[in-house]
Amino acid sequence: MEIFLAEHKKLWSKKYVRISVLLCFVYMIIFAGILQFQWFTFGSPKDVTSAFGNHFDGYEVIRERQEYAEQFHGVLTDETLSDMVSDYQSIEKNGSYDETKKTDWSVKTSWLETLFPELKQSDTYLLMLSYVDPEKLTDIYERRNKAIEAFMDASGIEGDEKEYLLSMNEKVEIPFSYVWTEGWRTVLGDSLPDFGLMIAIVLVVCLAPMFSGEWQTKTGAMILTMKQGWRKDALAKLAVGFSFTIEIFLLIAIPNIIVQMVYLGASGWDAPIQCIKMIAIAPMNMVQAEIYEYLFALFGTLGFAGLVMLISSLSKNDLLSIVGGFALLFVPMVISEYLPYTLQLIVSLIPMAGSSADIFRMNTLNIFGKAVWLPYVELWTPLIFMIACIPVTVSRWAKIQKS
Amino acid sequence: MVLSLDRLTKTFGSKIAVDHLSATLQPGVYGLLGANGAGKTTLMRMICAILEPSSGEVLLDGQNVSDMGADYRDLLGYLPQDFGYYPSYTAKDYLEYIAVLKGIPRHAATAKIKELLNVVGLSEVSKKKIRTFSGGMKQRLGIAQALLNDPKILILDEPTAGLDPKERVRFRNLLSSLANDRIVILSTHIVSDVEAIADIVFVMKQGNFVSQGSIRELVKEAQGHVWEIAVNPSETGRWEEQMTVANLRREDDKTILRIISENSPSESATCVPATLEDLYLYHFPTERSE
Repeated sequence: MEIFLAEHKKLWSKKYVRISVLLCFVYMIIFAGILQFQWFTFGSPKDVTSAFGNHFDGYEVIRERQEYAEQFHGVLTDETLSDMVSDYQSIEKNGSYDETKKTDWSVKTSWLETLFPELKQSDTYLLMLSYVDPEKLTDIYERRNKAIEAFMDASGIEGDEKEYLLSMNEKVEIPFSYVWTEGWRTVLGDSLPDFGLMIAIVLVVCLAPMFSGEWQTKTGAMILTMKQGWRKDALAKLAVGFSFTIEIFLLIAIPNIIVQMVYLGASGWDAPIQCIKMIAIAPMNMVQAEIYEYLFALFGTLGFAGLVMLISSLSKNDLLSIVGGFALLFVPMVISEYLPYTLQLIVSLIPMAGSSADIFRMNTLNIFGKAVWLPYVELWTPLIFMIACIPVTVSRWAKIQKS
Repeated sequence: MVLSLDRLTKTFGSKIAVDHLSATLQPGVYGLLGANGAGKTTLMRMICAILEPSSGEVLLDGQNVSDMGADYRDLLGYLPQDFGYYPSYTAKDYLEYIAVLKGIPRHAATAKIKELLNVVGLSEVSKKKIRTFSGGMKQRLGIAQALLNDPKILILDEPTAGLDPKERVRFRNLLSSLANDRIVILSTHIVSDVEAIADIVFVMKQGNFVSQGSIRELVKEAQGHVWEIAVNPSETGRWEEQMTVANLRREDDKTILRIISENSPSESATCVPATLEDLYLYHFPTERSE
């Protein structure tokens, strides 16, 4: 424990570590948190050319939108959908463009495009919400099932895989309850998928020199001669690296959740994620999805931290370790789209290479002949990386120090 | 306590850094004297068990030190040639960190750190960042960390490098006071340090001990090979090119050259008593000790 505390103190004593964590905090909480809600995502538009031209009134705008959605709150039926579309169209007919902003129009448009593709007119720039006949919006749940099957057929999903995904979908509770989902969509679809990335960048800067730094400061030889030895010290360093990851995670996640609660409140926590993406097949509600995405970020960053420290143990140079860490972070992201589909899925298992937004998708991996939904595998694989890195890092570091 | 080196060998590729060295060390101060690249650091790293020998072994009381693990490391104090430190740490923080790695209980460590900072003359600056220290201050801190666990085997690689004469004397006195019940091995190419404190000196050259023994015994080896000759100042250059000149001094209008040579360099040369420095130059004619 004493070595852990000593190594922990050493890590936090470095100025660049404190500055990196501070910058990450400022970016995530101030910029991507408070300013996003208050200004450039939810602020009422002033200058349509840029979100940064919005008014600084996000809090009031969110309240107004939640209040508007409240009139439709409840079970999502054909009638509710028709009513919502009718209401939008009447607002538009009254010529009040600004009023339409409060209607959650983008979510509803995506529903219409998914469920009623035959009603889409290709010769107009207007949203479906503007012209579709509300009377024709019937059988939404049957249509949803058909849309899922159509998507699977178009994606080449068949046989056991299709059966597996459909059985998942059967667990999705219908009818859905309707709630204002724009906030949840911003959190689950945009903010949280980037959450781990920012922490990963800090981890590269702070943890890449963890082992190589001892070589660079020429302290490695001394550590090897001390009673506690390189093995205990290496284990303590790894524990500090993982603890540091959890500390930053909590340091960012807790204020992030507080900011989310202040701006969005808890309303709609039990609504299904299908309110965000109609053909998602995961039987999850919003809060479950948020927990998944936070765990995804936590486990992903822990696995990534393990790999960064492994790279550090193989190197005698801090700069090389940092370059290696950034390569590990960005190369899989960049090359993934150029790879065959199966390889893309495998690459997505590398910590931080996948996306927590995969819960809205239907990707599966074939493991020993059995189809498994990709997000399940993506969640746990980083922990396997993390554990596997421990013995390798300890032995490689000792070897390189003794060379 | 007996530390034995048994045919200790280390090769790096085709290069033999340490070649079948054997020695038996008991409590006392041992000096490793040799030019750069003689194999001193490699030997010390093997004694510290941080470098595995290619063959041979290091034994403490008959037990292979690499099998002793933490028990051996608990007895060890090591100051590497390139002493490493954390620039953002204060001297006190640094010693506290080392104390943890050495497994010293917190209370004992606090008292020991205070004592050692005083011994090495860093008490006044114990809360200053190491990055602000001079070379000599850093070296003193390195000595303090090596002594932190009160080691029974103290291995110091070039410990006096960077110390000013006053600090060097202080360090020698410290080592002398420590040497009663422990094995102290220090490597250096500064002959005067070894001369002042080492009980036994090993002269290393190309991975071998070319001489070993007490100062008196070693000096005897050079006896009869040290000469003084008075020459015109204009001739000194020629003499320096042809012979190993240990020293030159002006006396009236002549220059007195101290020459290391197997035979008398000139009929006018007189044989003079040798010193350890002469022995060093006898073995390393192209090197000049400090």
